[in-house]
Amino acid sequence: MISAAPAHDLVTHVARFAAALRAQGLAVGLHEEMDGTDALTHLDLLNRDAVRWGVRSAFRVRRRDWDLFDRTFDRLWSRRQGSDHPPVDDPLVPPEPHRPSGRTLGSHRTPLVTRVAEREVAEGAAPGFSPDAQLRRKPFDRCTAQDLVAMERLLRRMPPPGLPTRRSRRLVPVPARGAVDLRRSLRRAVGTCGDVLSLARRAHPLEEPRYVVLCDTSGSMDPHARFLLAFLLSLRRVVKRVEVFVFNTSLTRLTPFLSSGRLHARLERLAAEVPDWSGGTRIGGCLADFAARYLEAVVDARTDVVILSDGLDGGDPAVLAQALGAIRRRARRVTWLNPLLGDERYRPEARGMAAALPFLDRFAPAHNLESLERAFARAAS
Amino acid sequence: MKDEIRAMQEAMERHGYIAEAPLATVVHLALSMRKPLLVEGDAGVGKTELAKVLAALLNTELIRLQCYEGLDVATALYEWNYPRQLLHLKLSEGSGQSPAELEHTIFGRDYLLERPLLRAITRKDGPPVLLVDEVDRADDAFEAFLLEVLSDFQVTIPELGTVKAGHVPYVVLTSNRTREIGDALRRRCLYLYVEHPSLEKEVRILQARVPGASQALAEAIGRFMQRLRARPLSRMPGVAETLDWARALVSLHRDRLDADTVHATLGCIIKDSADATDLDQPEIAALLSESAA
Repeated sequence: MISAAPAHDLVTHVARFAAALRAQGLAVGLHEEMDGTDALTHLDLLNRDAVRWGVRSAFRVRRRDWDLFDRTFDRLWSRRQGSDHPPVDDPLVPPEPHRPSGRTLGSHRTPLVTRVAEREVAEGAAPGFSPDAQLRRKPFDRCTAQDLVAMERLLRRMPPPGLPTRRSRRLVPVPARGAVDLRRSLRRAVGTCGDVLSLARRAHPLEEPRYVVLCDTSGSMDPHARFLLAFLLSLRRVVKRVEVFVFNTSLTRLTPFLSSGRLHARLERLAAEVPDWSGGTRIGGCLADFAARYLEAVVDARTDVVILSDGLDGGDPAVLAQALGAIRRRARRVTWLNPLLGDERYRPEARGMAAALPFLDRFAPAHNLESLERAFARAAS
Repeated sequence: MKDEIRAMQEAMERHGYIAEAPLATVVHLALSMRKPLLVEGDAGVGKTELAKVLAALLNTELIRLQCYEGLDVATALYEWNYPRQLLHLKLSEGSGQSPAELEHTIFGRDYLLERPLLRAITRKDGPPVLLVDEVDRADDAFEAFLLEVLSDFQVTIPELGTVKAGHVPYVVLTSNRTREIGDALRRRCLYLYVEHPSLEKEVRILQARVPGASQALAEAIGRFMQRLRARPLSRMPGVAETLDWARALVSLHRDRLDADTVHATLGCIIKDSADATDLDQPEIAALLSESAA
């Protein structure tokens, strides 16, 4: 019986249970294990439900993970409760998530890693090197690998210009021109027997914009995806709060992979992380997935949601409309950047795009660097 | 120890809060482990009410801190009583007191206005229940500050020094999940997710909280609400709305639901114009016949 077992058995059991949950992607750390063990000392260990609820609370398992928790609990904390030893034979190793290997990003038209080309550019002997201004206006689908490298250098040198800002609701001290800060004014006046000689002031500071970017990497976006991602990576250097998701037939959160390393190395890593790169699209389904899984966590009333996609969706437009509606209600602003919009002959008549239009605050082209920079500069202004 | 959970359920029910066993278990744990309780769930499921009941249960004071964007230390923790300080300064002009003495006086406890967090820490007669309501509305900076207070239960006032809690308060934090609470804060707490009530629970809540409603009316309301929540609404009505509606119906002397009554009082439960448009008379009639079945 567990309650009669030595305390360290309980600790071991909790640790094993936590490890099983961790293996399935739940954030259960040492703190959770300690609290879980502590909770069990306050509960009747024979009351399986109480143990379940108590550990679930102490492990701080979010509502959306309850099914996973319950299944694991049932497996690990089950019939063999009466034995002296908790079950040990269940390795609980989850199947490895499917990772396509050896695939490179944009393999159809733009080779992903162009080490040779980069070396040439880096050494200043770049054939076909475009002047900055020209490069900014060059459509992505006509860019060469050299252009990309040059563009990356351009982005490294110059952060996207004129990023919008908003005033925080918080008040911070400022040297002049703000509301009077009584507290600090009075504090200063103490030295002069209460005569307020100078007024301290405070004002709302500027706040960085927050972005959530959803980037389409399906086959039809292939000529653009790499440049869009390169731009997003550079955006992340100047704005701390950028969450990047990519989607094609399924949704992947890229933010954890955006942290370090050279751009091409990172892009390579991204391509390996994203299942079905350059595959088909399921825009509506992916946005619905985003709305269900991430919307609450990453989007708030201060966040600008930017969708980068050509809107060529084969799915049900109603799904897309509903997902966008949910995002629209929560976000500060929803912008759709469409590379096809750079082409003057394009009309947003694809079914998916037409269904999306009513929910957008802005619908703008994103076919070259200049248009991207302009779109982000205005996205939240 | 099963009995403790049952005892907790009964005690909470005596104070008008119908708690299922999972909720009672977590509340029992929060009290015995003396850990803050982070309560999440949709609006109107009774998160704030839980803290009130806890205070009643423990026969102690409820100290509430309502969070909002831009909430700062001066509103949450303490503020100096400036008018009094000024008055004192003016009155002591010419008394020959040195600035240091003066400062010592006007930055003393007498001139301190305690805000909820400080009051919760300094309360003399036993631990209070500290309710940090809608913590998701405050910004990250405030969350970090809160974390510091909740881990040490002491605060430092530059002019006064460190104030340590005489009694560690029972802390309840609520969140509507308008943004994700940081991991560090989450880690300090026990976690409780409150769901919309089952039919049986909702009827019991109605009976406990709206004594004027007949058994039949309470059941009709409960069934209607269950049906209503099964629909894809953009704003899901919670128990708070159910109670409002029941009270409205009682004060209108209705003892049963019909389509006209529901339509006339729809504003009690539906708080979104799109939802209200969707729920026209025929829809309501359909819901009613479904829920009567």
